[in-house]
Amino acid sequence: MSIKNLVARQKDLFSIIIFLAAFLAIWELFFNLEIWPKVSFPAPYQVLESFKNQIEDGSLPSNILVSLWRLFLGFLISITIGISVGLLMVKFPIFGKTLNSFAVGLQSFPSIAWIPFAILFIGINDSAILFVVVMSSVFSVMISTYSGMRNISPLYLRAAKNMGAKGLNLVAYVMIPAATPSIIVGLKQAWSFAWHALIGAEMLITTLVGLGHILSVGREFLLMDQIIATMIVIFTIGMIFDKLVFFKIEEKIRKKWGLSEQTM
Amino acid sequence: MILFITNKQSEKYLTKLEIKNVTKSFKTTQGKNTSITNAIENINLSIEDGEFVCFVGPSGCGKSTLLNILAGLEKPNEGEVILNGRPIDETGPDRLMVFQESALFPWLKVIDNVEFGLKMAGVGKQKRREIAMHYLDMMQLTKFSDAYIYQLSGGMKQRVAIARALVLDPEVLLMDEPFAALDSQTRDLLLVELQLIWARTKKTIIFVTHNISESVCLGDRVIVFTHRPGKIKKEVSIEYRRPRLTEDPGLQDFQRSILYELKNEIISAKKQENPSN
Repeated sequence: MSIKNLVARQKDLFSIIIFLAAFLAIWELFFNLEIWPKVSFPAPYQVLESFKNQIEDGSLPSNILVSLWRLFLGFLISITIGISVGLLMVKFPIFGKTLNSFAVGLQSFPSIAWIPFAILFIGINDSAILFVVVMSSVFSVMISTYSGMRNISPLYLRAAKNMGAKGLNLVAYVMIPAATPSIIVGLKQAWSFAWHALIGAEMLITTLVGLGHILSVGREFLLMDQIIATMIVIFTIGMIFDKLVFFKIEEKIRKKWGLSEQTM
Repeated sequence: MILFITNKQSEKYLTKLEIKNVTKSFKTTQGKNTSITNAIENINLSIEDGEFVCFVGPSGCGKSTLLNILAGLEKPNEGEVILNGRPIDETGPDRLMVFQESALFPWLKVIDNVEFGLKMAGVGKQKRREIAMHYLDMMQLTKFSDAYIYQLSGGMKQRVAIARALVLDPEVLLMDEPFAALDSQTRDLLLVELQLIWARTKKTIIFVTHNISESVCLGDRVIVFTHRPGKIKKEVSIEYRRPRLTEDPGLQDFQRSILYELKNEIISAKKQENPSN
């Protein structure tokens, strides 16, 4: 990284810190004006206190771990099913075309609307949460795999076939890598859908652990400080994955494919 | 003076590739009207082992279509292509194509691109690397073996593409305007390099171009195509010392005679497109 980039980064960091400080100051100010009762509007230090308590009793780390575990598991299942079905859709065009129209509809289907179905179909347990997570993310993977495969430059396919690639070799060494930029976009979207669905499902399918569950508990016991602390955790996790993990991967792939002029 | 009938050569060489009565037409649909366009019509041509043949013609004359048929990437409606006495059926690494734009795989490093065909053929990792490095060395690309494609210049990309084809030791190398997108200095350099590689590997090369000086610089024989539907209008044998440079004054007579043939074709192609003029 060049010095210029480093300076630019420090500037970015500086403005973020200024923004956060201003935000906290306004928050504190409103708290002191006592417009709302303290129960519905805690001070920043109360939220910090709640963080401290939750970390000290070990509940926050374990809830984060449980939620992330569910998220990873659901995401993994979505990738596996989504990519496999996406490949089958390419292999069998009529099936692909039909399923694609359904998948597009189901992709925009609100994840929360799956919850009553999941509770009656599976029960109030981890599997039901997983089911909701998978149902809300699998179609993004499926659609992006399907469209990514179909939009591969014919030149790559001709060159590959000309060099003797066929069957599974063609799929594994040419088609999947060639469709990767499009699949990554789908994965990123699937990840964020899975994350939304997970918190919703944890709130409504009560399994006693998970970040969503903590939110529900906070609501029932009027623990606004705990609710805000959890919201901050949810925000941070979402941001870390979106900005650090997926953005980096996407950027790297775009660069490699010559899709981005920008050099890091 | 310009045309030589090279009986001497046909005795020396064996027939490598025979194109027999090849015709190809495409269905084009414009709204409700479906019309059939003949791309090439009744092509007959015999190419000797180790010969360097150039196809020139006005754009859209079907010379690239013919090349795709030779590669087995398209099937002719009529006629057949015979390689080493056997009709070709599908595409395969015995007839390798070097494309106009870079068809290199951006997800692979240079070395892995060059190894690709060998990997598909099931050649072991060590052997693969050895062969690939040999051809990268021939193309003076050893330093770039670990680079990705986006890091290469246009000329380097086409050199990698040539190396990627040569590793498979093809019977025939098919080149579809491979230098069309390059700047003229890079192209001139590659024209010389290609002649040296040809001399070294003794490959049969079929090179499609619309650039007359390129065709004269490279070809033992230049095949001039008519406009659509493409037919062979004339064959010009070029007996001249190698390696040739495009600006060699001795090549100008050849260029002039091909230009003369092509000019009429380009004019009648224009007339076909705009009948009112």
